[in-house]
Amino acid sequence: MAIDRRTFLGTPVLGAGALALSPSFDYVLGATVTNKYPHRFIFMRKSNGNLPSLFSLPTFSTEEKEKDKNKEAFETDLNNHELPVWLRGLNDHKDSLTILHGVSMTVSGGGHYSFSGCMGAYKAGRNVISGIKRRTVDFELAKLVPSPFNHVELSLTGDYRAFRSGIVPGYSAPAKYQRNYCYADPQTAYDELFKSVTNPEAVGSDNMLLDYLYRQEGQRLKGLAGKERLKIMNHVGSIQSIRERNDKVATLSEAISKNLPVIDKIHANGGPNATLLDKQHAFSDVLISALISGLTNVVTFTIDELSTPITTLPGNTSRVDLHRLGHSRDTQLRDLVKASHMTQIAKIVDRLKSIPEGSGTMFDNTTIVYMPETGAGHHGPDTEAPMVIMTGRNSKLDIAGRYIRLPFHATAGHKTLSNWYTTLLNAYGNPIEHYGDKDLEMSRKKMYQTGAIDQFLA
Amino acid sequence: MSRSTTVILGFVCLVVTATGVQWISAEKGVDGKRSFLIPTHIEAILKSRCVNCHNDEIQEGNIRLDNLASLSNESRLDILNKVQSQIFLESMPPKDGEQLALLSREELAVWLSTELDKFNASKLEDKLRLPAFGNYVNHEKLFSGDHIGEKAFTVDRRWLISEFIFNGKINHLLDYIPTRTIDGRQMPVIGDSGVNIGTRFGGGSLRQSITNPFLLPTNIGVRYYDNTSLAGGHLLTMISNAKKIAAYMATAETMKAHYPAMYRIMKMELDHRETLRLRKNFLNVHMKRVTQDIYGERDETLLPKFVRIRVDEIPVYGTDPDGNVIKRSNIELLRTRYGDDLQAVYRGIAEHTGNGITFEQIIEKCERQWFTFGLHEKRLRARVTLMMVLRKQWEMNLIYDDVKQRNIRIATYNPLSNTEMEIIEASVLKHRVKGDRYRQVIDKCMDEWEQEFKRERLLAGKDDKGQVGDLVDEMYVKILERHPSSQETQDTIALTSAYIKALGKQQAIAKIIETLVLSTEFVYRYEFGQGPVDEFGRQMMLPRDASYALSYAITDSSPDDELVSAVRRGDLRTREDYRREVVRMLSKRDQYYVIDETVQKAGFNSSITNTPIRKLRFFREFFGYVKAMTIFKDDARFSNGASYDGVKGRLVDEADMLVDHILQADRRVFENLLTTDLFYVYHSGNNDSMKAASERIRKIYDYFRVHDWVNFTEEQLYKHWDFIDEMKMMGTVFPDFETNAKRRSNWVRTFKSQMTSYTFRLANGQKAAAPYDATGMAYWNKSDSSTRTGQQMRGPDVGRFFNIDFENWDYPTTQPAKIDHRKGMLTHPAWLIAHSLNLETDPVRRGKWVREKLLAGTIPDVPITVDAAVPEDHHSTLRQRLEKKTNESYCWNCHQKMNPLGMAFEIYDDFGRYRTQERLEHPDNLVKEMPRERGLHIDGRPVYKTLPVNSKGVLDGTGDESLDGEVVDIIDMTERLSKSTRVRQSIIRHAFRYFMGRNELLSDSKTLIDADLAYVDSGGSFDAVIVSLLTSDSFIYRKATRK
Repeated sequence: MAIDRRTFLGTPVLGAGALALSPSFDYVLGATVTNKYPHRFIFMRKSNGNLPSLFSLPTFSTEEKEKDKNKEAFETDLNNHELPVWLRGLNDHKDSLTILHGVSMTVSGGGHYSFSGCMGAYKAGRNVISGIKRRTVDFELAKLVPSPFNHVELSLTGDYRAFRSGIVPGYSAPAKYQRNYCYADPQTAYDELFKSVTNPEAVGSDNMLLDYLYRQEGQRLKGLAGKERLKIMNHVGSIQSIRERNDKVATLSEAISKNLPVIDKIHANGGPNATLLDKQHAFSDVLISALISGLTNVVTFTIDELSTPITTLPGNTSRVDLHRLGHSRDTQLRDLVKASHMTQIAKIVDRLKSIPEGSGTMFDNTTIVYMPETGAGHHGPDTEAPMVIMTGRNSKLDIAGRYIRLPFHATAGHKTLSNWYTTLLNAYGNPIEHYGDKDLEMSRKKMYQTGAIDQFLA
Repeated sequence: MSRSTTVILGFVCLVVTATGVQWISAEKGVDGKRSFLIPTHIEAILKSRCVNCHNDEIQEGNIRLDNLASLSNESRLDILNKVQSQIFLESMPPKDGEQLALLSREELAVWLSTELDKFNASKLEDKLRLPAFGNYVNHEKLFSGDHIGEKAFTVDRRWLISEFIFNGKINHLLDYIPTRTIDGRQMPVIGDSGVNIGTRFGGGSLRQSITNPFLLPTNIGVRYYDNTSLAGGHLLTMISNAKKIAAYMATAETMKAHYPAMYRIMKMELDHRETLRLRKNFLNVHMKRVTQDIYGERDETLLPKFVRIRVDEIPVYGTDPDGNVIKRSNIELLRTRYGDDLQAVYRGIAEHTGNGITFEQIIEKCERQWFTFGLHEKRLRARVTLMMVLRKQWEMNLIYDDVKQRNIRIATYNPLSNTEMEIIEASVLKHRVKGDRYRQVIDKCMDEWEQEFKRERLLAGKDDKGQVGDLVDEMYVKILERHPSSQETQDTIALTSAYIKALGKQQAIAKIIETLVLSTEFVYRYEFGQGPVDEFGRQMMLPRDASYALSYAITDSSPDDELVSAVRRGDLRTREDYRREVVRMLSKRDQYYVIDETVQKAGFNSSITNTPIRKLRFFREFFGYVKAMTIFKDDARFSNGASYDGVKGRLVDEADMLVDHILQADRRVFENLLTTDLFYVYHSGNNDSMKAASERIRKIYDYFRVHDWVNFTEEQLYKHWDFIDEMKMMGTVFPDFETNAKRRSNWVRTFKSQMTSYTFRLANGQKAAAPYDATGMAYWNKSDSSTRTGQQMRGPDVGRFFNIDFENWDYPTTQPAKIDHRKGMLTHPAWLIAHSLNLETDPVRRGKWVREKLLAGTIPDVPITVDAAVPEDHHSTLRQRLEKKTNESYCWNCHQKMNPLGMAFEIYDDFGRYRTQERLEHPDNLVKEMPRERGLHIDGRPVYKTLPVNSKGVLDGTGDESLDGEVVDIIDMTERLSKSTRVRQSIIRHAFRYFMGRNELLSDSKTLIDADLAYVDSGGSFDAVIVSLLTSDSFIYRKATRK
């Protein structure tokens, strides 16, 4: 369909007195891709915090060990060290790996959950829409690297006994007070993302619906003038944009077909028999395919939440769940959980490194951020939030290959989650002075906390 | 005439002013497109009052007014817009210059309006529609009586639904009928969108998954206006919502229960599915019996070879310090964590338990059973592992007991009908091969039957148009709450047929539902005049539309049964009809509403009312105290060890309770809101239950105080078990308390904590103790007092905001009760926090609020050249720092309207705590850090140097000399404000905006005067104001345009 909006609607010149319209949401639908090799971002969030001690390197020198223990700032080259056991799945990728300590999450809070807060650097309160303070950082980055789907969110969560499935409320936010949707099981993600190829009838019926609405609403314009006319026109224009987006996705059919993931039939109907690892792998396959086929350049994957069933995780011999794990001192199981996550990261990195792009590979233009939802433990503290970051050769951040510990919370030079996100945004084209809330204790102490982490900007 | 002559005559004569400026008025402007002529009288005005400062040499504010004709159309319109705004706001000429005569000002305004209207280019008109500009209509003119002859109306409009109306619509489509237990009775409530109760606690996950794209802006003041339109972001969200709604409505269960027309179309298919379901369920349970009956002894030989699954070795759970194995015993936890697998395991245990049968043997039997059935290998491994874990790590006696208690029935064999059994037998014989597990056979049979039924349906042919028409009608009635027109029916039938062809029936039905949910009619309120045209060109709304307008004005719901009946009877056509219905709706008290789900969620607060919700919500928005929920505070400044987030919900809930209390009485509403000295502080709103809870604590204290409870041993304590049990003391109500030795021995400590806390509350001569819990507990435990919705009453720290001395607090069980140093909502901590910054008070914002909300004043925007930041100086108070900056003449122009009002609030800090000293919170002024120690009696804030508070202010602008003047503090000021006519009228203006969804105009003057009189004549009834507004011309009449 190629209906020219102006022609169809016979839009008169409205002049400066027009009703103020809401801002264009074209970017949400993915404007024309402007970058030849856009940078890709994968945020992998997990629950129960990240215990700082489990991120220390076993081969620290005495001096490094002391500094790490006292939470003093320092850096060291990973190539000179062994990784903790749970992180050794990434041994082959040390040059791209960063272990980042010292960023605080006080702006989004500790406690059991931070919901969208850890993605938007604000305290989201309870999981209510009115707590969503701003567009989350993944959506902000997605604006910088437009794509047909703009942003894809996946989540492997549940209710302690069973995994969720279908399309459910997510944890990212495309705008203030708007909660994103996410795919809660691999089959649903597969069905929805690739349906232009796997289920053209469904796409056809969606388009039929849109075309019908377009005609019906367009008819309401007859006899309308001024602001009332504008109200309907806005809606009709939105329908048109979605329709055009669907057409755009259809043009990617060849790329999608070529890179369609293979999803085991165990994942059908929500995959009740699939184990935790089955689901992790399948989600990674979907994620990789979505990136390779160009459907999206930004993915947020909540790989677990406190309610994610982990009874099928090999090694979970006490069959405990993540919430109880958080209350216990079982660091061994914690490491097993993280190791399973690293397996997925390694898989994603390996696969992206196998796809040529430009003079290198797709991974060269990729950043993966593995981060806790709530800081340094089950109920916080949120004064630390250890992260694992993978950056490709063309990264605009100068952090790869290092263990970096920044100054501790509320000490000179400390950096918050807001500073970290500002860094990402500045590096990739958004010159915002400061993204995210300010830390209240540092404000009380009149400590400077605005802007990016300059030393990270390449 | 020669061309040159024409050209010469085409120019108006140059006019040379005293300043030597040359005017150019041309028949053809610079763009050559149309002529721009300034009428002579307008020229004269501009010349005499404007051009002196706005010419080519002097361009004040970068504006030139001597060359309008030579500008491009766009530039000229831009200038004219600026002039129009300045003239309207009476900002020009400047106050120290010679002013325009009233007539000249009006002539200029008319000319500007005319010129701008030619291009539909007036920004002022759009500006005046915005909430922030409501006060720009002159207050004196509105209430002077000079304009009561103008005919009021509201322009025809589509009005986007609010978040609350959206929630109501979704609840209706999802058949979600939320309830609350209120004062012990379960009742349906309106205003629950499902976000409050987590799925873990029984909340509806489908309802929670619907995202509300219509959230209102978060400004303080009236938020719901008619000038928002549906945007792309709304649509994207609605598309996802529509799919979920459609998926629910088109399920078999839902259509059977609620949609007969839908069901008729789907009947054959649903019957087929039901047959298949029954067959599958039967075979899932009794397949073994079926195959034994068919194959007899041969059956065993056809089964696959049973191979046991390998499971990793399960370690013990733990050992105690002596090396003894510890086993787990929390059966409740087991149940909540293992769901379906545990149920299957329990069934297996129930079936196979017998004398002499070991648990290992039970495992083997279950495994064989599941294997033979064909359970997926991963599920099989999970269940067998679970059974191994139970054996190794759990107290097996408890497991067996639990199985027994659950009374699990083993299904008895009841064959289906003879016909069905024949069909089953035939299919099993046809499809079973050696080695098949039962599930494989079942799947093959099911596949065959599904194909057969599909063929049967194809042979049955298409649905008749009548049935599809009925479906269309049913969906219109449910979703759009009306019947379709014949054209709509025709179009939708055609669409449905196309969907059926592409998708099959059930999905086609879902698609139709999606289509209707995505129409603009679903999300816009339709308020167009369609009745007879009166002599002034106005029309009333049709009764149906009027019923929605009235209902949405007072509630967030579609018209109730009485309103619908009135429409059907033809009794909603006159002003008296409207009055009757409004009075009826306002007097309803049999419906409870959730006031605010965010407040409910933040600490189990009730947040309920049976006051018509929009009435209460007006004051929530007007005062804006809800914003205290979103201001984030540093807990160390609240009190180290306490949590602001943990208590803000209680604070706002109690502010709502106070407003509700005043509205229920409906006398001197505005005055009481501004001057009441009665407040709720840690109270549920139910005086009887608070009294009972407090008396219970008294009783316990009085009983034990004569004993040496501090040194009680376990033995000594349990001598008083009868009393403890009677009192149901905290921690004793676990079901296994009496039999669980560990619980009882630990409870001594809990008992002493409670008694310590009760002693603290009553040992200083207090008559009544605040009924808060001595220690925190998980939410499912019963606490010492409950909210009206039966949950734990949390948040006793709320008393900190009110400077409650917890060590000496004689708790008032009857509330609202007098609290020192407080008077009215402007001294309520929720309001004070909402109008503060994160770390400091905000006198400017507080003063702005008073000026705009109570004094009907206007404050211009901060000029873009201004850095509106208070300078740092940790040796000065905020007032001193602010004055240093804002007392400069450029700033004072605007700040004189705000600061003198706002400074009066300085007797409260940014947490709303009363103070006489201001803490200079800077590291250099730190006297003492405080440890993180909990305790209501502990002020855990860091200690800083201080300076005395100066709260002197000046009230001006009431229009009453006896009220204007210097004030000592806000308590002094609010007393005066409550007596002001202008304040009363200003509140009524805001009420107008709230109930009309737009700003008032001069033509609404009569409406406002009438509403004011209604309030006064009724002794201060807010209901009277609402009735007056909703029966006014402004509400009743519509017109296509203001032009």
